[in-house]
Amino acid sequence: MSERYDIAIVGSGPAGLEAAINAVIRNKKIILFGTENLSNKLIKAPKINNYLGSFDVTGKELMQKFKEHISAMNINIVEERINNIYAMGEYFALMVNEKMYEAKTVILAGGVEYTKPLKGEEEFLGKGVGYCATCDAPLYKGKKVAIIAYNKDAEKDANYVSELAGKLYYVPMYEGEYSLNSSIEIIKDKPIEITGDTSAEKLILKNEELNVDGVFVLKDSVSPGQLMPGLEMEGEHIKVNRNMETNIAGCFAAGDCVGKPYQFMKATGEGQIAALSAVSYLDKK
Amino acid sequence: MLHVNQGSFVKEVLESDKPVVVDFWAEWCGPCKMLSPVIEEAEKEIAPKAKFVKINVDDNPALAQQFGIASIPTVMVFDKGNVKDTMIGFRPKNDIVNFVERNL
Repeated sequence: MSERYDIAIVGSGPAGLEAAINAVIRNKKIILFGTENLSNKLIKAPKINNYLGSFDVTGKELMQKFKEHISAMNINIVEERINNIYAMGEYFALMVNEKMYEAKTVILAGGVEYTKPLKGEEEFLGKGVGYCATCDAPLYKGKKVAIIAYNKDAEKDANYVSELAGKLYYVPMYEGEYSLNSSIEIIKDKPIEITGDTSAEKLILKNEELNVDGVFVLKDSVSPGQLMPGLEMEGEHIKVNRNMETNIAGCFAAGDCVGKPYQFMKATGEGQIAALSAVSYLDKK
Repeated sequence: MLHVNQGSFVKEVLESDKPVVVDFWAEWCGPCKMLSPVIEEAEKEIAPKAKFVKINVDDNPALAQQFGIASIPTVMVFDKGNVKDTMIGFRPKNDIVNFVERNL
């Protein structure tokens, strides 16, 4: 059994970091998932004048201050990308491929960088469309499958699927060398829509159409509703109340992922509320 | 939970005198493993109003084919021999309880 954290924070932008420092101040055992750069949006900001107390700074300067702050508090960022979070009842299981982390509460602070779904993608989800090729590949034994791949990691999955599927099309959405089995057909074209009757039957691209039994869409980041099954959304944002509570007990959310305006100060404020709500949830248990 | 296969399916599911919740799963499916303890918790809350069973799609490909299982876990509620509703993918316990309750 792995170590069970009090709070798992998913995202290292302003909301996640503010949640982390507040949880640590209140003596909770936390784990913070994110990236070394903290947040792509932060480092890209040329000039920030609406962050109280830090006037006339660049995003990179602010990032540096954030980094100094968390390291002074001995907070480390675990550089892993969470694929799925399962609400198990008493705890949450956070999956990184085959590895699992456990936490009593979760704070979602992943921003809003996920890719927009294709037309038909959500309609046929579970009816020929899937996000986990390795999970569902055996169901497509001998059938025609297309993989729409947003990153290099998908190549490994594609090679695995090709051993089971009758025919595999690989549609890369990135540039580069592809290390793929020779049986895989690479399609360099732009996917437009997935169509079908009761289940997915066709992948329509700009220049051609593929008849398929299944389509796997392998993205960099999925929407929070896909990340955590059962999470209630409001459009493309996570639904929360004033305490930053989601519909799932013990799960909180903060920052851009819960709605506009997309601002650093709003994100940090919400991160703080989420952390304090998580702390009081833990203390009541 | 009772494991049902091709041979016992008709008797245990189709001819059951109360609604049956069927969990289609497989060994290699991560989300299925996570769902397993959660659905057992849901069973405790709902039983004896419904019967809960599991079908391994690897061992019973014909059943998976018959019910068009394209993604697992898939949970189906059967009543009087017919599929009443389908839920695809992992769900927290409350969602499963609500899903089953509204199909009773």
